[in-house]
Amino acid sequence: MSDPTRHRDAIPATNEPLRIAVRRLRWFKQAFLRHAEAYGRELGCTFEVDEARLAAVFVRWLQAIERQKPADKTQRRAFFEFAAALMLRELVADMPVKALTPVTLAKPDSAASFWPEGYFCTMFCVSVHAAAMEQEFHTATEVDPAIDDLRHWWSFKENAGQDVSFSAGFLQKVLGSEPNWMFPDVFRARLSRELD
Amino acid sequence: MPLREALRGLRFMLRRGGETLAETISIEGLPQPAADLAGVVLREMGGLVRNMDEIASDIAKTIIGSPNQPSLTLDDLGADATADVQFGAAVYVALRSVLRRLGAPGVFVSEAAARRAWQQNQMTDAATLMIRLLNERVVRGTTAQEAARVSGSALEPVAIFAVLLWLQSTRSEDENEAALDAATDLAVALAPQVATACAARGADAIGVLFARYAAHV
Repeated sequence: MSDPTRHRDAIPATNEPLRIAVRRLRWFKQAFLRHAEAYGRELGCTFEVDEARLAAVFVRWLQAIERQKPADKTQRRAFFEFAAALMLRELVADMPVKALTPVTLAKPDSAASFWPEGYFCTMFCVSVHAAAMEQEFHTATEVDPAIDDLRHWWSFKENAGQDVSFSAGFLQKVLGSEPNWMFPDVFRARLSRELD
Repeated sequence: MPLREALRGLRFMLRRGGETLAETISIEGLPQPAADLAGVVLREMGGLVRNMDEIASDIAKTIIGSPNQPSLTLDDLGADATADVQFGAAVYVALRSVLRRLGAPGVFVSEAAARRAWQQNQMTDAATLMIRLLNERVVRGTTAQEAARVSGSALEPVAIFAVLLWLQSTRSEDENEAALDAATDLAVALAPQVATACAARGADAIGVLFARYAAHV
């Protein structure tokens, strides 16, 4: 997988820290629409965004992070990554984007050609996460090279279709962490695994 | 204000009347030559309604003007002597915009009712204002709206909730329009909770929703 920050210009400018801005629907929507345009150009396809569905996704994501947010400040950085995983879970659950045309500029055996919407949503989450991590922790985000293997995407699409929480585990894997596959969308489950 | 409100009412009545006439009279079932005759009459009447609508719209636009969306917040209004006027104008413009986004552009919005709601309130508690706006019927004629993104019964509370959410949000002037769109989409996503809280006229429940989501517009 190439550089996850290659569409940095799709991150809207803001005077607020990104961790705050991303929790405003107007910023989140603008970022999503800009990424859809950027990835549409890169892949040679047109993405259509359902804004009402995107708003519903956003509200569910806010509620999910509010429920799981740890009181322990030392977990803040870990929860940053987890919040991105929850975002992918909600996006895949309600898929607010649709490829109106086939992908023409990516290899036929690539993730983008196999599942344009799933690929786009994953890359959106990685891109926003990378920008926020850089700003908050001055850390560059690296993605797991194993993710270039199309078999992971077959598994992702199939498993997420049966259990949407799988998407949260997939994103943690993309970001180089080993998720708790029993409860991939439960932050405390992730913590207890790390403490074992 | 009464003239402006009256002209808006006239414009609303003409538009709604024209739509209702076209929807009510069906000429397909009539035998000839009554069908041809009815068709001619309907076309003539449709033209008349359109002309009247245009004249009323022109007059109304001349007098009403087309104010931009004000960027004030509820906190800005405070105890200003003209706060009710500013609040009424802001609610009118914002509600029209929200209703268009919801797919209900033909619904009537009463600026006078919004001003009355503020005058009764004498404070900037958004939840109480919401109930006042509902009681004053700032939004009217929602029952005939079938094209809306929310059901007829939820349209009024969702639209008002969106405007008050927007009025509480921190935003720059450049972000004003995007913030109003975002507040509308949030209100639609929260429609079941908003409708339930408003049906019970529960200021506490409405206040919880505002407290939770005003920072996320």
